[in-house]
Amino acid sequence: MPEEFVEDKDGMKIRKLTELRTDTDKEYETAMLRRVDEFKEKEKDKSQFNDVLQNTFFKALSTALDLKVQVDKALGEDNLKKLRKAIDDILLLGL
Amino acid sequence: MYHLDDDEYLNVPYYRKTRSVCPECLEPIDAEVYEENDQIWMKKSCEEHGFFRDKLSSSAKYYKWTHWAIKDKDGRVIWKFDKDGEANPPDCVGEDPRGCPYNCGLCDQHLSTCSLALIDLTNRCNFNCNFCYANVLQSGYLVEPTLEEIDRIMKHFRSKPIPAIAIMFTGGEPTVRKDFPEICKMAKDNGFKEVIVATNGYGFQKKHGGLEWTKKVKEAGLDTLYFQFDGINNVTYEKTRGIKNLMAYKQRVIENCRKAGLDSIVLVATIAKGVTDIEVGNIIQYSIDNVDVVRGITFQPVSLCGRIAYEEREELRITNADVLKKIEEQTGGKISMENAWYPLSTIVEFGRVIAYLADVEPIEFTCHPDCGFASYLVTDPDSGEMMPIMEYFDPLKVIDFANRFWAKIKHKERKPLKLFEDLLGDFGKTLDKGLNFLDKTQLRARFLLGVLQYMKKPGKLMEMFSRLLMRGDWESVSSFSYGALLLSSMHFQDAYNMDLERVKRCIVHFGIAMPDGGVKEISFCTMNSIHRPIIEKQIAKQVTAKVRDEFDTSTGQAIKEIEQEVARNGGINKEEGV
Repeated sequence: MPEEFVEDKDGMKIRKLTELRTDTDKEYETAMLRRVDEFKEKEKDKSQFNDVLQNTFFKALSTALDLKVQVDKALGEDNLKKLRKAIDDILLLGL
Repeated sequence: MYHLDDDEYLNVPYYRKTRSVCPECLEPIDAEVYEENDQIWMKKSCEEHGFFRDKLSSSAKYYKWTHWAIKDKDGRVIWKFDKDGEANPPDCVGEDPRGCPYNCGLCDQHLSTCSLALIDLTNRCNFNCNFCYANVLQSGYLVEPTLEEIDRIMKHFRSKPIPAIAIMFTGGEPTVRKDFPEICKMAKDNGFKEVIVATNGYGFQKKHGGLEWTKKVKEAGLDTLYFQFDGINNVTYEKTRGIKNLMAYKQRVIENCRKAGLDSIVLVATIAKGVTDIEVGNIIQYSIDNVDVVRGITFQPVSLCGRIAYEEREELRITNADVLKKIEEQTGGKISMENAWYPLSTIVEFGRVIAYLADVEPIEFTCHPDCGFASYLVTDPDSGEMMPIMEYFDPLKVIDFANRFWAKIKHKERKPLKLFEDLLGDFGKTLDKGLNFLDKTQLRARFLLGVLQYMKKPGKLMEMFSRLLMRGDWESVSSFSYGALLLSSMHFQDAYNMDLERVKRCIVHFGIAMPDGGVKEISFCTMNSIHRPIIEKQIAKQVTAKVRDEFDTSTGQAIKEIEQEVARNGGINKEEGV
């Protein structure tokens, strides 16, 4: 961990961080999935995470989202701006 | 800069009028908030005690960002961080002609509902921090509500039209109470979704029985520790708490929670200039390293109680903007002051849409923008590195869409579809229910698509976020938060910087069981700066000679028991550390 020691005004040395070490993506995903398992276990049939239909829906949505991110990159900033404005208008239409 | 490129607003000098209190006599007086040398100040004059000024923010640009508003083409404000919330009906009639903050109870001037209910379980504490407002050793009397009184307070918060969802037990050190597990269970039985304890870790850290106790309180319903954590260096604790070798004590809390499966700890760091401000990076790194149990960090710039000269205040005062600068410096620029932060009130309309569509109780963060800021650190699926959630989507676009969406549908919340009930009675009622369900389903789909179009990153976390958008239930919110690290700050007010516009919007309320059988609801900052000594004198219990002789008034343990614990090195020997 990148760090240094600094001396405070009383002459005491204190460990001080200078750069954040952040490569913990797997650990965070594990913590999140463990929480999901906890709800599955605790809430049984009531839990959305035990609902096959919903799980399938969100899986499909996640895949669509992956695709969308790729398409966004291909579209370019200006086109994306115009497209989003159009989508906004459609989604708010008739409310 | 601050998400507002090309916006002239950040260059216009800031000014507004407000009300505050005189730091000497605590009487309400007029105040002005203004910009000077790229800082934001408050000035005020009391006829009797003269002129006062105090720094509200060390960065005028950051402050102005948190007071930004969206205007329409005619210059009318259509959205702002500074909200008037959906308040519950008042609990009392404001009879004091001085008005806010002297009619707390709550009165009809309050503009926010309570998001976090607080109950002081005791003013006993195993520590004796010299800056603490609640301490039996300093006050000389015991403040400790009975179980019946605690239940009365809980029912007060839960019976309102917009009930409080979360409850936090404070003190003193709440875990010195022997009936603490019973109180946690009582909170769950009263319907609180999130039960939190603000603790220095006392009950959890005991070498003998600490783990079993931790399991017991988890079983009883405790969800989260709001855990006093000033840094990772013993020397820091020596300065803040006056106790040596305290890091081992703190580490035992983390370990016992880990073993007991109590995996929701929020580290709470009191930030004082030159003492704990060099620890902010360390605390963030410590949280990341303990991802399995640490869910977030709250930085609390120290509030200055008592009478303090201007020069000394200048020396001690640390604002939210200072904390943000320290975070940026000490994380190698990864969490940038200009890009990573939003006031807590940002998500109000977003939260209302989700709550309405999911038929769940709303959480209303309609606090004042000066109260605090927040950000999530999330992992980038492309690089595996953690970064502010703002990299995941375009926050201003999402906010804007949610605001427009809410503006269009909020009438539905007040007046659900009712087409057939009058014509067909009960059958019509069922038909209307079906129609409302269909309507909400199509609205959910629209909202989901509207928000997801602004997402920039794919992955598991975004899948969970989609669930949150569609379902809005506790499972989604909680699971999402486990995949990220919440960073936030709460700058509590003192008499020098008190802004009554903030007080009126406070969302963190103490509940106090009064001797007349009622419950007083008082906003956090006014309780600690103004009301506490008066209220506590009304509800205080005498510390009897028997208690003094046989028990340690701080922990409530029998003297004999403490001697044994210290002998086993399991208790706290304040002279030699733990």
